[in-house]
Amino acid sequence: MLTTKTFLRKTKRGNILKIVREHYLRDDIWCGSSLCKNCSLKEKDKVLDKEVISNVSSVFSFPHYLVLDTNVVLHQIDVLEEDVLENVIILQTVLEEVKHRSSPVYRRLKDIIENPNRKFYIFVNEHHKDTYVERKPGETANDRNDRAIRVATSWYATHLSGSQPKAKNKHVSMVLLTDDADNCQKAKAEGLIASTVYDYVKSLQDAPTLLDKLSKKDGVFEGGSKEPLFPLHLSPKEIQDGLKAGKLHQGTFLASRENFLEGSVNVEGFEKFILVQGHAGLNRAVDGDTVALELLPESDWVAPSDIVLEDSEDDPGDILDEEVKMEKEKAKAKKVEREPTGRVVGIIRRKWRQYCGILLPSQDKNSVRHLFVPAERKIPKIRIETRQAEKLKSQRIIVAIDAWPRTSRYPLGHFVRALGNVGDKDTENEVLLLEHDVPHSKFSDQVLSFLPKLPWIITEEDYAKRVDLRGLTICSVDPVGCTDIDDALHCRELENGNYEVGVHIADVSHFIRPGNALDKEAALRATTVYLVDKRIDMVPELLSSNLCSLRGNVERFAFSCIWEITKNAEIVNTKFHKSVICSKAALTYGEAQAKIDDKNLNDDVAKSLRGLNSLAKILKKRRIENGALVLASPEIRFQVDSETHDPIEVVAKKMLETNSMVEEFMLLANISVAEKIFQEFPDCAMLRRHPQPPPSNFDPLIKAGNLQGFEINVESGKQLAESLDLALKPENPYFNTMLRIMATRCMMQAVYFASGMLQKEEFAHYGLACPIYTHFTSPIRRYADIIVHRLLAACIGADSTYADLLDKRKSHSLCHNLNYRNRMAQYAGRASVNLHTHLFFRNRVQDEQGYVLYVRKNALQVLIPKYGLEGTLYLAPPKGQVAKVNFTYNEEEQSQSYGSIKFRVFDPVTVQLSLDRTNVQHEKLMLLLVKPEIPDFSVPSQAAADEAMDVDQVKDTAAPSQPPSKRQRKSK
Amino acid sequence: MELLSDQGLRLDGRRPEELRNIRCKLGVFSQADGSAYLEQGNTKVLATVYGPHQPRGQSRNKAPHDQVFVNCQYSMAVFSTGERKRRPRGDRKSQEMSIHLRQALVAAIRTELYPRSQLDIFVEVLQADGGNYCACVNAATLALVDAGVGMREYAVACSASLANGEVALVDVSHLEESSGGSNLTVATLPVSGQVALMEMSQRFHSDHLPKVLERAIEGCKDIHQILDGAVRKHVEETGRASGWGQVDRAGIAL
Amino acid sequence: MAGVLLSEAEKTFILHGVQSDLRNDGRSRQDYRPIELELDIVTHANGSARVRLANTDVLVGVKTEIDVPKPEKPEEGKVEFFVDCSANATPVFEGKGGEELATEISNFLASSFASSMSFDLKTLCIIKGVQCWKLYVDILILECGGNLFDAVSLAVKAALHNTMVPRVETVAMDGGNVDLQLSGDPYDCWRLDTKNMPCLVTLSKIGEHFIVDSTAEEEECSMASLVFSVTDGGRLNSLCKTSVGSLHPHTLAEALKVGVDVGVRLNKALDQALAREDRRLEADKPERFGFLK
Repeated sequence: MLTTKTFLRKTKRGNILKIVREHYLRDDIWCGSSLCKNCSLKEKDKVLDKEVISNVSSVFSFPHYLVLDTNVVLHQIDVLEEDVLENVIILQTVLEEVKHRSSPVYRRLKDIIENPNRKFYIFVNEHHKDTYVERKPGETANDRNDRAIRVATSWYATHLSGSQPKAKNKHVSMVLLTDDADNCQKAKAEGLIASTVYDYVKSLQDAPTLLDKLSKKDGVFEGGSKEPLFPLHLSPKEIQDGLKAGKLHQGTFLASRENFLEGSVNVEGFEKFILVQGHAGLNRAVDGDTVALELLPESDWVAPSDIVLEDSEDDPGDILDEEVKMEKEKAKAKKVEREPTGRVVGIIRRKWRQYCGILLPSQDKNSVRHLFVPAERKIPKIRIETRQAEKLKSQRIIVAIDAWPRTSRYPLGHFVRALGNVGDKDTENEVLLLEHDVPHSKFSDQVLSFLPKLPWIITEEDYAKRVDLRGLTICSVDPVGCTDIDDALHCRELENGNYEVGVHIADVSHFIRPGNALDKEAALRATTVYLVDKRIDMVPELLSSNLCSLRGNVERFAFSCIWEITKNAEIVNTKFHKSVICSKAALTYGEAQAKIDDKNLNDDVAKSLRGLNSLAKILKKRRIENGALVLASPEIRFQVDSETHDPIEVVAKKMLETNSMVEEFMLLANISVAEKIFQEFPDCAMLRRHPQPPPSNFDPLIKAGNLQGFEINVESGKQLAESLDLALKPENPYFNTMLRIMATRCMMQAVYFASGMLQKEEFAHYGLACPIYTHFTSPIRRYADIIVHRLLAACIGADSTYADLLDKRKSHSLCHNLNYRNRMAQYAGRASVNLHTHLFFRNRVQDEQGYVLYVRKNALQVLIPKYGLEGTLYLAPPKGQVAKVNFTYNEEEQSQSYGSIKFRVFDPVTVQLSLDRTNVQHEKLMLLLVKPEIPDFSVPSQAAADEAMDVDQVKDTAAPSQPPSKRQRKSK
Repeated sequence: MELLSDQGLRLDGRRPEELRNIRCKLGVFSQADGSAYLEQGNTKVLATVYGPHQPRGQSRNKAPHDQVFVNCQYSMAVFSTGERKRRPRGDRKSQEMSIHLRQALVAAIRTELYPRSQLDIFVEVLQADGGNYCACVNAATLALVDAGVGMREYAVACSASLANGEVALVDVSHLEESSGGSNLTVATLPVSGQVALMEMSQRFHSDHLPKVLERAIEGCKDIHQILDGAVRKHVEETGRASGWGQVDRAGIAL
Repeated sequence: MAGVLLSEAEKTFILHGVQSDLRNDGRSRQDYRPIELELDIVTHANGSARVRLANTDVLVGVKTEIDVPKPEKPEEGKVEFFVDCSANATPVFEGKGGEELATEISNFLASSFASSMSFDLKTLCIIKGVQCWKLYVDILILECGGNLFDAVSLAVKAALHNTMVPRVETVAMDGGNVDLQLSGDPYDCWRLDTKNMPCLVTLSKIGEHFIVDSTAEEEECSMASLVFSVTDGGRLNSLCKTSVGSLHPHTLAEALKVGVDVGVRLNKALDQALAREDRRLEADKPERFGFLK
C-alpha cells in the first residue's frame, strides 16, 4: 500500500516549498510477541514473552506489555535503564521523535533495545498498514503522534486477543504509559489501559529504588517555595527573533571554577569572553549550555571578581544570597578592568549529562530532599529526592539534572546509581574515568571474538608475504615495566659506509581488521589511558601485551620503516615494508644507556645502540636549529606499594640520552610516513598538526621574561627557542625550566586531521618545526596510528583500502573523536596524579622547595618541582578572619610585598605541604609558607599547621606525571 | 541521515531490495507513433516516439547511411522539481541526459533495420523524485514498443545506492539520492544481462561496487518483468474493442 | 497541428459540413468535443490540472514562491504564465521550435488575467511593499489536436482553482525586516478566488460561419480565428485575432455575441466539473489517474 506525506518547508532563501514524499505501508510488519499466532515471526524476532512474569504491579495485576510515549522515554530513561521493566513495545513514532529530540537519550534507548534480556521490541507502526495514521487538518504534529501511539496500542490489543485465552489473569493486555494528561484521558476514553509513569512505578514491587530515579521534569518537589527566584527565560521563538535581530547573542556558557556566581559566555565574533555574574545574570545556565545572552550597556559592565566564592555548604532552601559581596566588588572595579558583561536570557540547548559527586544529606533526618555536590566544581549543586540518603551519604553517586524551575535555587535532578564508598581508590578511579568520559568497561565477548585464536603461530604464508628481518639485531628501549612495546630499532653499518637504520612498529593493523567489532571498539576508545596505578587499554590485553608487543626473543609481525642514512644523518632513501622481526633484547632506558656507556661491551646490540645514539644527536641538533621547541613540564612518577597500590614515594622522572635517542627516530619515522601517505592520499591522509599559537597567548610569558630582564621573542618558533635558550640565570638554575613550563602553557593543542579538510600550509607542526607530521609509532595505544598503518599499507600494496578509509568526511569525524578522547585521556591522567598526590599526603606533612610561578591579587601560585605540582599559597585569610599580615600587591611589577620581603615571579620559596582533611568528602592539599619567614604568617619548619589556611590545588594546571609507561616520551 | 533503519526499512518504508511502485501505460497519445507514460513512485515521465521517418533539418547530415539516426530529447516540466526550474531543457544536465538516453536506447534498437531514417524519442519528466534517468529509459522503451520499432530487447534502467556503508538499496528516491552518498545508475539489456550504460554520481569504493551493481541489475530484471507485463496487457487490450472514458472522470459536458 | 496535410477535396468537404451545421465528427457548429479534467495530479506543485480536449492535451502546474512586489504596485502580488510546448506534441517543437507559439499563448493569457476584476493580485500581498506571493502558472502542452487556446485556459483556471497557497504569518523585525513563519500544518492553506477568471473561446471562421472547438483539420481550413477571453459573468477581458486571414467588422460584431455566449456556457460547465472533481478529491484517498486513465 502506498500513501504520500506532504509538508511545507522553508528554504534558506526564504522560499516556501511543498515537499511530497512517498510513504509505503506494509503488511509484513510483525508484532514481535511469542504468543501471536498470526504473524510469521522468525525465532529471533520473538522478543516479547508469551507468559509475562515481569512488571509485577499492584495496580495492573494482570500480565501486560508496556507501550511508552515519547516524553516517558525522554525523561525517564534512567528508570528504563534499570533491569525492572521488561516486555516493552517501543513504537517507531516514539523512536524517531526521541532520535530527533535528544541523541544521547536515543543512544541509551538503543543500548537497552539491543539487550535481549530487556525484551524491548521496536514496532514499526508508521509503516504498518493498520497503524499508520494520517495527520488531520488542524491537528498538531504532537497530537497526531499521540494518536498514532494510541492507535498502535489498541491495534496490539485486538491483534493479540485472538491468539490467547480470554481469562483476565492469563490474558496479556497493553498498558500505555504517558505523562500527558490529555493523551492519558483520550486513551482511557478509547478503552485503553493507561497510566502515568509515577503511578505505575509506584505500584511496582521494586518501587522505592525506582522512584528515586524518576525524573522530576515538571514536578516541583513538594514544599518548594512558589516565589520565582530567577527571571523568566525567553521562549525559543523570542530567542530566535532576538538572535536574528542581533539583540541577543548565542554562545557557550562556561562556569567559573572559583566563583559559583560567575561565568563567561563564548560568543562568536567577540574577541573576549562575555562576563556574566550573579544569580540573575547566570539565570540557571549550567556549564556547557548553549545560551542566549543579552549584552548589558557599557555603563553596567563589571570586572571579573578576583575572589573565590563557593556555594554554602548546607542547604539554605530556596533563598538567594551572597550577592552583596559581589556588588561591593563591582563598585571597586576600576574602569580599565571592566569587561563586556551580559546576562543570560534564555537557554538554547542544555548540555546536561550525568554527574559524579557526593550526597549532602539534609539536616532534617526525615526529609527525602537532599543536595548533591558534583565533583566538577563548575556544576552547581543539584537537589534530588531519595529515601536512601543514609546509605548514599558515604558514597560517590551519579545524578542527572531534570529541570531547573524558576522557583528553585538549585537544579532538580534524580539519583542514577552509586559508584562506591568515598575515598575508596577504585571508586575514585571510577569517578575519574566517568568524569572524563573514558570508556572503560570490559571488552565485550563480541569484541573478543575477533582476537586471534591461541596458540598463535606464524604460517608459511605469513613469511611469504613479509620481509624476513629476523636476522637483524633489533632491540627495543622502553621505560621500566612497559609491557606494550610497540617500537623496536636497529642500526648497522653498510658496506658503503652509510648506516641502515630501521624503526619497527608493532603491526597492529594486521590483527585489527577494519569494520569489525574490535576495530569499532578501538576507534571509540581512541587511546590507551594511563592512570597512576592503572592502564585502560585501547585493545584487549592479548594484543597489547602479547601478540603485538615486540618482546625480546620472540617472532613478531612489524611494520618497518628503513632508511639508509649517511654518517651525517642525511637520509639517502626510505623503504617501508611489513616484516617479521625477532627482537634480540627488550631493554629499559637505563639498561640501554649502560650498554652504550660501557666501553668494554662490543656486541651487536651495543654497536647498534651507539650508532643510533650518534645519529640521534645529529638529528636532534638539526631539529633544534630548525626551530623545534624544547619545552618542559615537570614530570614525576609515583612509586607504588605493590600490595595496596598506595603511593609511597614520588620521584621526578630522569631524562637519559637514550630517551631522546628513541624519540628522535620515532619523530623521523613519523615524518617519513606522513610524507608518504600524504603523497599517496592527498585527500584522506590522517595527519597531526600543531597550530602556531596566536601572539596574545604569549603575553604572560613575555611579561614574566621582561620582569627578569629577558626579552622573549615569539615571532616564530625558532626565535622563541633561541630566546628561551638565552634566558639563563646562574643564581636560579630552575629559572629556565620554569620559563619553559610557562611557554608550554602558551601552546595550542596538537590535533589529528584529515588532509583533505585543510590547506597544505596549515599542516605544520609548530612544536616540532616540521611542515608535516603524523603518528605512526604507537599503534598499540593510539588509534590514529592504526589508521596511518592502514594508509601506509595501502601505499605499499601490502593491504587493500576500504571505503571509510578513503572518505575524508568519515576521517574527519573520526579525528574529532580521537582528539576529544586524547584530551580527555590527558586530563584523566592529570586527575589521577592529583588523586595520588592526595593519597600520598594523607599521612604526611613535608617542607619542600618551590618557586613562584604567578603572582595573583590574593595568592601566589607555587610550583613544587619535586612533586610536579602547583598549589596556591593564599596571602589573604579565609572568610571571616582578620589578616594579621597585609601584603601589598603591585600589579605592574607582578609582586607581593610585606616589609622588606617581596615575592616575585620565579622567586624560590619553601612551603609546607599537607592535606586538609577537615572535610572528609572534600580533601584539599594545603600550602603554607615556611621560608622566607614572616612572623604571624609563616609556619615553623616541619611543624603542624595550627592556623588553617585554605589552600587548594588548582587541578587542571597541575603538571602531568609519568605513569608506568612511556606515554610522555612521545607526547609531542 | 540513516538510509536504512535497524528494522531493515528505508526512509519511505521499503526494504533494500524493493522497487518503488511502478505504474505504466502504453499509447497515451494518439498523434505520435508511439507513446508511453510511466510512474516510478513519485517520478513520472512521458515518452513519445516519432518515426522512423525521413531525416529532417540538420539531422539529414548526421543520419548514417546504414542505420537509423536516433534523436533524443530530455526535458523536464518546470514544475517537476521541488523548487521551480527556470528552463525545461537546454541546460547542461538535460543535454547530458539526452546523450545518455540515446546511448542506452541505441543499444536496444535494431538500428540496422531503418537505414537513412530518423527516429525521434522525446521524454518529458512531469514530476521528479529521484531516478529520473531510469524512469525515462523505461518509459522510452515502452514508447518504442508502442511505436513498433524493432528492438533486440528492452532497455531497462535502474539505480542503486549504498546505505550505512554496507547494504545496497535499489531504485533510489530523491531523498535517498540527496542524503546518501554515491548513486549508481545502470541501463541494461536484462535478458542478455548486458550493461548499456553505467554512471556513478560519486566514487564508490571498489569493495562495494559489485554488490551495488548487482542490486541495480537485479532491479533492472524486476522492472523488466513489470514492463513486459504492461506490454502484454496493452496488446491484449488494444486487440479488443474499447473506448476511452471507461473510468468515471469529471468530463465537461456542454 | 503541423503535419496535417489536407487535399482540396477534403477541405471542401469540411467547408460543406460547416455550412450545413454538421461537422465531420457529427458535431454542430457550437458543440465542443468531450473534455476530460483531472485536478491535483502533479503532487509537487501547489495546484495542478490536466485537461484533455479530444486530442489536445494540456498539463498545468502552479507553483507559489515568495517574492518582492514591484515598486510601482506595492500592494500586489505577481503572476507569471509560462508555456512550454513539449516536443511530445510534435517534433516541430523540438529544441526552441515551440517558443513562438508559447509566447503567443502566454502573452494572451497574461492580458486576459490582467484585469483586477478577474484576478485580484492584492490577495497575494503578504506585506505591503515588502513581500508577496508570486504564482508561476506553468503550462505544458503535450499534444495538439486543435483548439489549443481553449484547452489551455480551461486547464489554467482549473489549476488556479486547485492551488493551495500556504498560510504564512509575518513577524515584523527590527530595521524593517520581516520574517515569514509557517504554521507547520500542511493543511493550513488558502485558495484563490477563481470565480471571475476567464476562459478562452476560439471561434474559427470557415466559409461564412464561425465554429467553436475546431479540430486540427478544421483549423487548416479556417481563414481566421478570433480568441475571446470571457468571464463567468459574460465580461470580455481580452480579444485577439489569430492566423492569417482578414475579417469584416460586422462579422466581428456577430462573432462577439457568439463568443461571449459560448464563453459563459464554458465557464459554467467548467465550474460544475470543478465542483464534481473537488468532491471526488475530498473523499478519503482519492485515486489519481493521471495518464494511466
